[in-house]
Amino acid sequence: MARYLIKRVLIMILTLFMIALLTFCLMHVVPGSPFTSQKQVSQAVLDALNAKYNLDDPLWKQFVDYMIGVLHFDFGPSYKYTGKTVNDFIEGGMPYSGTLGLITLVFVLLMSIPMGIVAALRNGKWQDMLLMFLATLGVTIPSFVIATGLLYIFSFKLGWTPVYGVDSWKGYILPMIAMGGYSISFLARLMRSSLLEVMGQDYIRTARAKGISEVRIIWKHALRNALIPVITVLGPTIANLLTGSFVIEKIFAIPGLGGYFVNSVTQRDYTTIMGMTIFYATVLIAMIFIVDIFYCLIDPRIKYE
Amino acid sequence: MTEENKWERVSGSTEEAERIYRKSRSFLGDVWFRFRHKPTALLGFILVVILLVFCLAGPAFTPYSYSEQNNKLASIPPLLTVYPGPEEGSYLYITQGLKLIEVDEDGNLIRQLKKKKDDNTNKQTSFTWDDDTLVYLDYSRLPNTVLDADGNRIETGLKKWNNTYRLGTDQLGRDILTRLMYGTRISLMVAFIAALVNMVIGIAYGGISGYLGGRTDTIMMRIVDIISTIPLTLYVILIKMCLDDGLLSIIIALSSVYWVDMARVVRGEMLSLKNQEFVLAARTIGSSTKTILLNHLIPNAMGPILVTVTMLIPSAIFMEAFMSFIGIGIAPPMASLGTMCNDATETLRTNPYQLFLPALVICIIMFAFNFVGDGLRDALDPKLKK
Repeated sequence: MARYLIKRVLIMILTLFMIALLTFCLMHVVPGSPFTSQKQVSQAVLDALNAKYNLDDPLWKQFVDYMIGVLHFDFGPSYKYTGKTVNDFIEGGMPYSGTLGLITLVFVLLMSIPMGIVAALRNGKWQDMLLMFLATLGVTIPSFVIATGLLYIFSFKLGWTPVYGVDSWKGYILPMIAMGGYSISFLARLMRSSLLEVMGQDYIRTARAKGISEVRIIWKHALRNALIPVITVLGPTIANLLTGSFVIEKIFAIPGLGGYFVNSVTQRDYTTIMGMTIFYATVLIAMIFIVDIFYCLIDPRIKYE
Repeated sequence: MTEENKWERVSGSTEEAERIYRKSRSFLGDVWFRFRHKPTALLGFILVVILLVFCLAGPAFTPYSYSEQNNKLASIPPLLTVYPGPEEGSYLYITQGLKLIEVDEDGNLIRQLKKKKDDNTNKQTSFTWDDDTLVYLDYSRLPNTVLDADGNRIETGLKKWNNTYRLGTDQLGRDILTRLMYGTRISLMVAFIAALVNMVIGIAYGGISGYLGGRTDTIMMRIVDIISTIPLTLYVILIKMCLDDGLLSIIIALSSVYWVDMARVVRGEMLSLKNQEFVLAARTIGSSTKTILLNHLIPNAMGPILVTVTMLIPSAIFMEAFMSFIGIGIAPPMASLGTMCNDATETLRTNPYQLFLPALVICIIMFAFNFVGDGLRDALDPKLKK
């Protein structure tokens, strides 16, 4: 276990370094300097700007400086908004994105696992058909379509939820559904097939033969084993939820990280893009790591060598 | 059988007894048989064919172009609310810019009426119908309506299907049906090419890694592990930003990251296939690594590869729509389903059909390819053979 953990942490650090390097290279391959704009700027001004942001240093030195900054949680200044740093954006957006991400995750788990269980236990009956039809819909309809559709029906037509922002708790409902739609469907399908497989195992027949009640069989014997594949994909699911938030936050005008990221992409604010990418990647990789450890604790059969 | 020959020996040769009555089918025939006996798979396949016809042949039958703008006829919905005009069989449609358009019995848009005078106090606008007839538009209270000959408001309008623009126009007055055809074409093209490129890279990478094994395999798979922990959506966006606007850069961005899954699938297949007897036989007669890979291993792994490709297509379409939706997709005036959705969000409140139509097409595409992928997976898996 300890060896596995050390190995995982090393790979994690290597991955993050690769991500930083790749992002840095990509941002410097982009044609034009960050200050190229519609307005003609004189060479002297450009030189001064480059000197101010240390862009006249050799590339390797810029990278080393940047990495030292990142290690101190300093992602540098924004090139487009004077006086703002990337840290300001992250600190400003994180509370909203974090809250939304967290409640969506809880919502996804609370919806998908019961859905999968019901579908598996009523295999072939109408409940199964209905739930799996909904799940197919959820997998095939893009989240931005769900989001705009929900916005149109519940905010414009019925007026039940606010159109913009998250000033009250009601503002979180629609983004939560739109963001979680895909993951709910995916996890519900996975849960169903995994539970169906477990229910056909010999030990379930043994448990039945012993005369254990059906509820207890499902709760104690089937569910614990059926949950393992679901937990395996939780890491990528969290990644999906977080990146899915770009569009959702844009549609619902939530002042979160995703909105800043999309803005910085369209405005070509390079340091912000770089900082946000590295920040996102770190969060995602940390999440996947936590899920993996959790997975290892839940299933004692898994021994990491 | 009659009484007489009851005890007669039945003539018959061993050949007859051994005959196989069931028609023998080739592997592909078998796959096709199982594929078309699954209703959802067949439905998906039919939908894909319809979509291809729609986007390839469709533009030949439409009089409009995808980029031609007509500001006078902007945001006209497919279902018009019209009011009777001064002549028999003529109707008037009120645009969102408070102008009047003459509509005939069949729902064809005839002409836009010329504005005569705007009466601000009564909130009425007069339009010239012909030289001596005026029609009045009343916008004093909602709904805006037209006055009849006696100067009374006509409160209830009739519903008529738009016959000139079957699916209406967008906010720049472009025919939505035509744009949908071009948008579907772009989306499918991006998806097909990206899936193909991913397939080639994935097969090459996974094939080499799986067949050579050992240290090469370990190193190549470590690289894949690292790439797959990188959030791919972010990288598609970043790579797209480094390139200029246009179709090619979207395809490059999509193709450069999504081969990882394919590489894993191919490697897994290689590992299970490469120790089988036919590979040993090929190696014994001195076939080169290249021949073994290309002629023996990859054709045998084609089933899972095909399934992965059909599953890649919807995700490529999704990513293209996603990128277009956040504004870094295809450059205007070219249409893609994502840009159409994105344009429509601005006027969602007044013109929901502008979002609904491209969204519906995206959903149909996703449905179709998911169904085909599911069907192929079941059809190609010999374990499920009945």
